[in-house]
Amino acid sequence: MRTGGSNRSHLPLVVLLVTSLFLITLDLRGVSVTANSRSATQSFLAPIQRSVSDFFSPVGNFFTDVQNFGNTKAALKALQKENAKLRKKIVYKKDTKGQLVKLEKVLDLAGRGGYKVVSARVIGKGSSSTFSQTITIDAGTRDGVQRDMTVIGEFGVIGVVKSVTSTSAIVLLISDPTFRIGVRLARSQSVGVLMGEGDNNFTLQLLDPSGVIEKGDVLLSLGSDNNKPFVPGLPVGFVKTVSSSRATLTQVASVGIYSNLNSLGVVSVVLRSPNEDPKNSLVPIPIPIPTTTVYVTQSPEAVVTPDGVAKDQN
Amino acid sequence: MSWSRAGYSAAILFLFFVIQESAISRINFPIAGFSLYLAVLLGFMALENQLGAIVLGFIGGLILDLSPSSDSPLGKCALILTLVGYLISRNRESLGDFTERPIIFVLFVSLGVAATLLTFLLFGVVLGENNGSFVSNLQTISGNGIWTLLLSPILLPGIVKLRELTLTSKERI
Repeated sequence: MRTGGSNRSHLPLVVLLVTSLFLITLDLRGVSVTANSRSATQSFLAPIQRSVSDFFSPVGNFFTDVQNFGNTKAALKALQKENAKLRKKIVYKKDTKGQLVKLEKVLDLAGRGGYKVVSARVIGKGSSSTFSQTITIDAGTRDGVQRDMTVIGEFGVIGVVKSVTSTSAIVLLISDPTFRIGVRLARSQSVGVLMGEGDNNFTLQLLDPSGVIEKGDVLLSLGSDNNKPFVPGLPVGFVKTVSSSRATLTQVASVGIYSNLNSLGVVSVVLRSPNEDPKNSLVPIPIPIPTTTVYVTQSPEAVVTPDGVAKDQN
Repeated sequence: MSWSRAGYSAAILFLFFVIQESAISRINFPIAGFSLYLAVLLGFMALENQLGAIVLGFIGGLILDLSPSSDSPLGKCALILTLVGYLISRNRESLGDFTERPIIFVLFVSLGVAATLLTFLLFGVVLGENNGSFVSNLQTISGNGIWTLLLSPILLPGIVKLRELTLTSKERI
């Protein structure tokens, strides 16, 4: 009797497990159940994310701001002097201004390269429980965005459009572990592959066995056939350290990227690239550090004697 | 578990899924993000009997499978959470009534969230998914566990009340 009862209680478990496995099999065999259902969810979530985004844009970086409290102490002191109403207005103003600055930089980058872009606000981030690095933007097919289009931030490539609905799109970020982009070194024109690792670390592997990587080398996107998913000539990152292991056939380097993927507010999707490859024209130019020149003039009254001692003539 | 309660529970879970996807995911939590959805789902599952935990695990997994940011095949989360539901129901009897032992409840849910994420990861590896470096995965799992541990004491009384709302009059008796 006990065995029979136990079997009965296991029946729903078996049925649900078989259903799950059936769904997985359908998905892996290419039945478009996943794409359609996730696309429908995205269409449903996009307007909610857009409206929530207005509220969460200033609040979203709360913890990061707390961590950097020391750096922003002066700014906080100034804000404390103002009353609550004005403070709220300033927070929103700052947010808008920050987004405008970012937008200006993104459009500047796109303009210099001759890319036709459509700009979009970041309205959502991928859930941490999915282990994938994605953002949701408020531009979709209605704005000309299509799957596999390059997405740029203020300093260069930040990802690629993974899926798109009429009003929103999911962007796979460059930091995602599955992300691969062909790059060339601006200095030596050596070609390699840049791989995301799920955090702020990136690995560059050169394809050319004789290629040499140097610290500080700038990486530009190599481009793809018909410019999908990547357009050529966009800055991607810079070499932080070079691994000199003899066990590998080609050189491997640790790479940093210019954009901060945690604070993306505005991004642009490249709709069309110029007819000619911009080559190295988009390599970031380092901001010159002003040097102070000090002129030392000898006092007319002082005379240096042959033994090296300065004496006043008076 | 009655059909109506399964329906109410699914609606509540979907609401938390929307909150998770549109609001909670936007917050840059230190270490790693917090999954409100998983915390609520595991809280619900921990209060159910065996059949209830399994059914809620399946429903909750299917909803999580709809996440637009997910790259996994549809049904993966449903499969894992059904198994998690079964494991929860098998072990909860030895821990007693959670509503009278809140600390055990919080610890159970926090460990459950971390264990579920670890299972997602391991199952992803089996399916050939690339989930990134060991360190970042460790951060995601431990971060989620820590945040669930910190925030569950605030959330769980609400979860218990929400579950009571879904009970039919017969089930209340």
